[in-house]
Amino acid sequence: MVATFNSDTLREKSLQYLWMHNRDWTQMAEDGEPSIIVGGEGVRVTDGDGRSWIDVNGGYNSVNVGYGRDEIADAAYEQMMKLSYFPNGTTTVPMVELAEKIAEIAPGSLNRVFPVSGGSEANETALKIARAYHKRRGDNGRYKVISRRGSYHGTTAGVLWLGGSSAAPRDDFEPMYPGMVHAPQPNPYHCELGGETPSECATRCAMAIEELIQFNGPETVAAVIAEPISTPMGAVVPGDEYWPLLREICDHHGVLLIADEVINGFGRTGEMFAVEHWDVVPDIMTIAKGIISSYLPLAATVVKDEVADAFAGKENYFRHVLTFSGHPVSAAAALKNIEIIQNENMVENSRDVGAYFKEQLEGLAGDHPLIGDVRGRGLLMGVELVSDRETRAPVAEDVHIADKLNERFKKYGLILRMSGNIINIGPPICITEGEVDEIIHALDVSLWEVEGEMGIAQMA
Amino acid sequence: MANALDTEQIRRSALEHLWMHNRDWVQMAEDGGPLIIVDGEGIRVTDSDGQEWIDAHGGYASVNAGYGRTEIAEAMRDQMKALAYFPQGSTTEPLVNLVEKIAELAPGDLERSWPVTGGSEANETAIKIARAYQKRVGQPGRYKIISRRGSYHGALGAVMWTGGNSGREDYEPAFPGMVYAPQPNSYRCELGGETPSECAVRCAQAIEDLILFHGPSTVCAVIAEPIASTPIIPGDEYWPMLRQICDKYGVVLIADEVINGFGRTGKMFAMEHFGVTPDILTMAKGITSSYLPLANTIVTPQISDAFAGSDNIFRQALTFGGHPVTAAAALANIEILESEGMVENSEKTGAYFLEQLKSLQDDHEMIGDVRGIGLLVGMEFVKDRETKASFPAEVQLGDKLTEAFREERLILMGGNGRTVGMGPPLCMTPADVDEVVGRLDRAIGNVEKTLSNS
Repeated sequence: MVATFNSDTLREKSLQYLWMHNRDWTQMAEDGEPSIIVGGEGVRVTDGDGRSWIDVNGGYNSVNVGYGRDEIADAAYEQMMKLSYFPNGTTTVPMVELAEKIAEIAPGSLNRVFPVSGGSEANETALKIARAYHKRRGDNGRYKVISRRGSYHGTTAGVLWLGGSSAAPRDDFEPMYPGMVHAPQPNPYHCELGGETPSECATRCAMAIEELIQFNGPETVAAVIAEPISTPMGAVVPGDEYWPLLREICDHHGVLLIADEVINGFGRTGEMFAVEHWDVVPDIMTIAKGIISSYLPLAATVVKDEVADAFAGKENYFRHVLTFSGHPVSAAAALKNIEIIQNENMVENSRDVGAYFKEQLEGLAGDHPLIGDVRGRGLLMGVELVSDRETRAPVAEDVHIADKLNERFKKYGLILRMSGNIINIGPPICITEGEVDEIIHALDVSLWEVEGEMGIAQMA
Repeated sequence: MANALDTEQIRRSALEHLWMHNRDWVQMAEDGGPLIIVDGEGIRVTDSDGQEWIDAHGGYASVNAGYGRTEIAEAMRDQMKALAYFPQGSTTEPLVNLVEKIAELAPGDLERSWPVTGGSEANETAIKIARAYQKRVGQPGRYKIISRRGSYHGALGAVMWTGGNSGREDYEPAFPGMVYAPQPNSYRCELGGETPSECAVRCAQAIEDLILFHGPSTVCAVIAEPIASTPIIPGDEYWPMLRQICDKYGVVLIADEVINGFGRTGKMFAMEHFGVTPDILTMAKGITSSYLPLANTIVTPQISDAFAGSDNIFRQALTFGGHPVTAAAALANIEILESEGMVENSEKTGAYFLEQLKSLQDDHEMIGDVRGIGLLVGMEFVKDRETKASFPAEVQLGDKLTEAFREERLILMGGNGRTVGMGPPLCMTPADVDEVVGRLDRAIGNVEKTLSNS
């Protein structure tokens, strides 16, 4: 494989013809990027120059079963040899089996599956269902969607203005979608509402949603959308009161509750779905990434029977079509992927190794004054860096902490990029304690070097 | 292979757990449950009861290479075994090879690709690029998007409000900045043009009028399919005029080749019919013949140059954007299209198909219009050829046609009973055409009988 091409030639071509994520080609050229990834096994990937890396990001927190699972390739191959595609107007055997499987593992009466090809599409579909649902019930004025600042739900126009933590990137695409209402994030480390414990923060942030519903008028609010554990700000775990309160508030005001489990689902947080941490059943749940460990594009919007029933009957059907929705080859791959997660107890592994990983990170905090907070559940974790643990102030911008650390992570063979002053961690959930130790060692050295450069390293 | 017992169980499970396109499970149950397709070869698919069908619809006009191409499955498996996935912060060999290939095939100087997973995402990306581009070049007031009534560009937040006929009230309020222009449909020219040329000129002129009415400093882009898919083939003047108008007013021209691309209209890309290079071109479907989900937005250097430099980057990420396995499948698919002359076949067999459909008009008064280019063909049904009046809704012509096509084992939908579009695999032979036309002849004849009896 590796010998059949020249990395430099491919790099040049990619700089000329490819538009990559969140960076531009002139910058990449200066940095000698992009790297070309050619192989993968477990938590490791190999680049075109033969160097091995540990993928601490796990793709985009998405390669749950790890790289190199040939069974998934074989399952997809067998399906493609039989039937490569058929649209979701008629259907195919693997798609039906997958829908049944999802209904079986999803909480409560989340039984009806609208398959799509990515997390953005799944959330778009959820919002369309929510808006149409209220109209089916004669509640025509409900169109507003409440999301939380600091959350992320996708990049297509219907979901782009949900959540978010700064004007960028959305100011490039204004004017915004109508009906977007923003609530505080229940982040106990930086509670916007001054809650001093996770509980207090959770309760205040949930109440803030009720106040927004009342302020806007319940008859104008269609849905609340939230990730059970929010990723962009570093695996923000809300206090235990939050989700039960959200459920209650939504029920009280006739608002649909949408749980975005695009990242959280399929064992990422140590449960099959993260809402299980709080025993709450949302009205709509969206899933992607881990459903197929990113081996192929697939996602889904899973809906409670009580909501889906509003669309039964010829006059009421849901008007929404996507060519690749319900793709049989993706479905076959997803079925095999879920089988691996279940047979190999990867959800339990995520819980146990995640707890070990978190413990090790907390240990690092003892040696590194930069570490302000370590948080998360299962194998979804965040480490927030601060200049001062008392004030929890971020590291000054002119330190360029992200660039400095990214450079070290690269040097020590970690696929890991800072998000502002946060280290987001979401490796494959097949990771072992030994592999965690390797990552911890690389993080330790990276932090040590950068702190040394900043003149704040603690003496050993 | 599913046996008869499995089929019933699968059907029940589908009705219970799956949300399918544009129909509901109660209705479907009454109709005996969804059809379960298990196998395919060329233009034919087989259902779980062992019945063979001809797919005249071509899986939403998308299975360009036809069913059963094992080379694509092998390319997929090989890549998945080597590397199943990696995000677009680094990149992968098949993706780089694919974007190079696309730049080679795409018209004019379209060069840089932003890969995504479906046509809707490709058009969303195009609109985002257009809005951000206008801001990069110091035109922050330009946000409006002009599309044409009767067009379709997708089902997501922004694009679901472009084009369209009706049926979006479920999702109101609309995305801001949507401006609607007439469709250059010479069979029913909204602006009274009596020839394709006259209709084309008037409809292009209408876009200039809209730009002036709104103020050029507010207009971001025009989005249009070269050939809208029922199909509507604009007069030759249309696209060169659009290009000229967009240039004159600093408006970005987006060509949606999601359906048109990869040989569907008898050219690799439909813009080649008109010799026009858009600023942004979107593609999907035929790029992998739907073997896997993949789509792409390609732009000219004039557009992408505005995003060079770390302060100017385009801020968008999609987990599955640029997936290496789908890229490997696309490369294998494009190789089939090229090495087997499928684009040329689309042109030739499409012309034959069109001729045969036109001859059906002699026997079936209700076929008011037949039109097509390459293997994108369609019929329009009318109650009266003189007035071109459609059948009233209570006739339920769409349902009747769907049922008649089903009896003939044609995968084809009657839709709203006005137009029936077809986009079969491009490997179709003249003999296949004869078979399809024979089945259409009988199906339409049967519908005519029920109409005259009622």
